[in-house]
Amino acid sequence: MRKSSSNNRGITRKTRIGIVVLWVVCLSAGHIFAQSADVVQRFEQIAAFIRDNRIAEAEKELASVLQATPDLPVALNLMGTIRAKQGRLNEAELLFLRAVRNDRKFNGARMNLVYLYLLKRAPEKSILQLKEVLAVEPAHAEAADKLAELLLAAGRVDECISFIEKQKAAGPVSPSLLVTLGDAYLAKKTLDKAEENYLVALEGRLENAGALFGLAQISRVKGEMREVSIYLNRVGTLIVDSKSPAFLYKFSLEAMRVGMFDEAKSALERSLELRPKDPQYILALGIAWLRKGDLFEAEKLFRRLLEIQPNNAQGQLHLGYVLLNQKKYAEARLWLEKSARPGVAIPEVFYYLGLVAQEQNDDARAIVLFEKAVQKLPNYAHARIALGSSYMKLKNYVRARQELETAVKLDPDEPTAHYNLALLYARIKEPAKAQEELRIIEKLKAKGASTGGVVVLPPGSGPKER
Amino acid sequence: MFRWVVLSLIILVAQKPAPRTPVTFEEVSPSASKITWTHDNAQSPDRQLPETVGAGCAFLDYDNDGWMDIYFVNSGPSDFFTPAAPLKNALYRNNRDGTFTDVTDKAGVAGGRFGMGVAAADYDGDGNVDLYITNYGQNILYRNNGNGTFTEVTDKAGVATPGWSTCATFFDYNNDAKLDLFVSSFVFYDKTQNPLCTDETLKRRYYCVPRLFKPTPSRLFHNNGDGTFKDVSRESGIADHPGKSFGAVATDINNDGLMDLFVANDTMPNFLFVNKGAGKFEEIGLAAGVAYGEAGRPRSGMGVDAADYDGDGWQDLFVANIDHEFFSLYRNEKELIFTDQPGEIAPSTQLLSGWGLKFFDYDNDGDPDLFLVNGHPDDMIESRIPRVKHKEPLLMFENTGRTFKDVSATSGAVFSKMFSGRGMALGDFDNDGDSDVLTSNNGEAPLLLRNQGGNRNNWIGLQLVATKSNPAAVGAVITWQTGTTKRSRLKIGGGSYLSSHDPREILGVGSANKIDSIEIRWPSGKVDRLTNPPINKYIKVIEGTGLAR
Repeated sequence: MRKSSSNNRGITRKTRIGIVVLWVVCLSAGHIFAQSADVVQRFEQIAAFIRDNRIAEAEKELASVLQATPDLPVALNLMGTIRAKQGRLNEAELLFLRAVRNDRKFNGARMNLVYLYLLKRAPEKSILQLKEVLAVEPAHAEAADKLAELLLAAGRVDECISFIEKQKAAGPVSPSLLVTLGDAYLAKKTLDKAEENYLVALEGRLENAGALFGLAQISRVKGEMREVSIYLNRVGTLIVDSKSPAFLYKFSLEAMRVGMFDEAKSALERSLELRPKDPQYILALGIAWLRKGDLFEAEKLFRRLLEIQPNNAQGQLHLGYVLLNQKKYAEARLWLEKSARPGVAIPEVFYYLGLVAQEQNDDARAIVLFEKAVQKLPNYAHARIALGSSYMKLKNYVRARQELETAVKLDPDEPTAHYNLALLYARIKEPAKAQEELRIIEKLKAKGASTGGVVVLPPGSGPKER
Repeated sequence: MFRWVVLSLIILVAQKPAPRTPVTFEEVSPSASKITWTHDNAQSPDRQLPETVGAGCAFLDYDNDGWMDIYFVNSGPSDFFTPAAPLKNALYRNNRDGTFTDVTDKAGVAGGRFGMGVAAADYDGDGNVDLYITNYGQNILYRNNGNGTFTEVTDKAGVATPGWSTCATFFDYNNDAKLDLFVSSFVFYDKTQNPLCTDETLKRRYYCVPRLFKPTPSRLFHNNGDGTFKDVSRESGIADHPGKSFGAVATDINNDGLMDLFVANDTMPNFLFVNKGAGKFEEIGLAAGVAYGEAGRPRSGMGVDAADYDGDGWQDLFVANIDHEFFSLYRNEKELIFTDQPGEIAPSTQLLSGWGLKFFDYDNDGDPDLFLVNGHPDDMIESRIPRVKHKEPLLMFENTGRTFKDVSATSGAVFSKMFSGRGMALGDFDNDGDSDVLTSNNGEAPLLLRNQGGNRNNWIGLQLVATKSNPAAVGAVITWQTGTTKRSRLKIGGGSYLSSHDPREILGVGSANKIDSIEIRWPSGKVDRLTNPPINKYIKVIEGTGLAR
């Protein structure tokens, strides 16, 4: 299993601090073995206090050490750990920096700085520290993995590839580094090299979820959907007990893309066990339920998200959408209007608000809203269908026909477009054309075409269905 | 100044209206009503589709004593079912004291086939209400002999339809003053036509979706006026449209004086047959916007009804569908176009499957409210679809002007119970001036619900006695005025599901203690006007004569 990406915005402050502290305590213990036996014992005691959350005692012990030896790197590092645990990140940073200034080869303190900068959302500073760690200790596997990950996450794909390839040239590298290399090649759409690295990372066994996940993505790009399912199914079984919510989340988005909603749901439920209040995961789980067609579960999750983040625009939009589908129009409108941020409202918001207006028998307002959606996205077939439908209700059959015929051209497989056109033709006494549209709907049904509705995935999680 | 404020407060308190006591429906227990009959749905491991569809019930006054009697339809022998003990339909005579007596055998109306629905009307105009029973298998017409007994005249009358009939509706499609008969036909079915419907989860058979079966055309019978009917399905255009038809209602959607037909189809588009005159009907469901759900998807239409719920003078339509399809309230936009505006009904019914239903003025405030009877046809549905139940609650919606409000929670304890609801009939069985409800439940005892408090508002009950129009006065338009408030109601034919209703019309007038006028425009064109009629009682109005003395 790959380590989680450190660029997790949703992680809670408390959890982050917990991660840093545990890491620091382990590394510090290693470094103090260079000291005398008494000192070692004393620092082990302090580290134990920190581990057991007996901060006051640890701090008292450290204060007395630092009074005697104010520049002792190990003591500074441990004090930094305490400050980090207390959420006093700036003080922690100064202490870690003093530790490494006094001992340039003190990689434990440097790794603490790496994680501290990630907490402070300064990955570039983490990268610099990781490079220092690797200069001191080129075989530092964790630093190598982290550096590669961070370079990739920062979009420095070429630098990431170059770094890992150099590591490979120097000797065998960890499977996780190979997976990151595969990911980097995948990002550059160099599929063959990506595939090659994923396969090497697998070492002939289907046990590396990251590599299998990469192979699933390659298969999807190639349109080999059967393989995608096989790989994702395997990943799904490997991540049952995963401790990486970020990877679970990534997996769930990919699973949703190929219609594996149950697998996506399981992964997201696991993510939420690990981080129960992560808005990103709650939103995605709501979407997974939505995709499964369970509006009630989806509604519960979007409401939960909005309890945590009342101004989450995606949450508001999705709750509005769910309520719209449950025909609870007044509340749907409320949330949809809240989700529309001035100047940045996405076309879907106008479309959904238009649908609400339409259902509330206000077609004049609906038309204004649909027009806005179409203005923002001229190829928005659903908005054009709705526009045609409203014009039809207002008996403007010329405009209705224009919009509906455009919609059918934009999305010939959308039954709603054909149905509205059939309705229109029936009303303007063109029964043969109406029947032809109904026949098309029957054919589409036989093909299993989806009908109506638009699901908005979280930003960056994939193409929108229109 | 201070005294003025205190006085104002006192006035405000005094003017605040007292909280309204809600109208409720009280379950009349079998021990109180003496109705012990129970529906047997004949459920088998083979899950034959007719088992889950029935059955209907009726309020009718078979002995002309002015009190509503009750009829229930039961399952019976068929090609797939042989009852271990004989099953019977049931006729219960109203004892006028809240109890009923089973007079089925004496009346000779036990049925004896796999029963579905019932329509009660005086088809031969002899003043006695007759019974038409629809079956899986041949239907039955019982002619009322006027002496508490009936005679089966099915073959003689020519209304023995083969196949699987569901709802029957008496109405006069050609305004010749005789009651014609529309009979909904469901799918082509026999015991050899029951495919294996199962899945990996259940590993048991469940009831197949009607989509798997072939549609059949419904029937229209013209009343010849001599006790016989002529099948005019083909020449009328009805037979051109094979369907999987359940509920049917005869109403006048375009106010042309000719009764049209709205027919619910299961897994097929609904039919709206517009009466073009000269015995012809044109199916306009698609153009009217009532045939399909969104995206051109046919739904599982079951119960239907019609009423002018928004008081604009045009008949609106209602159809109940299966879970997740939403029920539709079709507002009449005139020019033969309808828009689906279910309002609060939609979220309340999202998970329900609706059958019996009726618009009626449950609180006598003058506007039609809506009662819904629900239940999922698949007894194993809970293993297959989350949150959907086999037994479902009843629902009551109050008309608030242009929309409906779900008042089930305050309408009585019965609304918190679950039933396998199917048929629903409307009638004032205790003659207290408010409409009571009878429901028939699949494989269960029926429910008799007494309206408690509807008659706190004032009312007048009309028994229309036609002399030149059809005996049921279907198509009559009743207009009543109290002060500046004028309301009108079309007397429709049928509605609900497999069931038949009290033919009397209760006109609610709210708190008004005087009705200025009532006008009855009969289908014959005759108009009767009553001025200052008595309130809070039933009156008989004879066509061309007015108030009967």
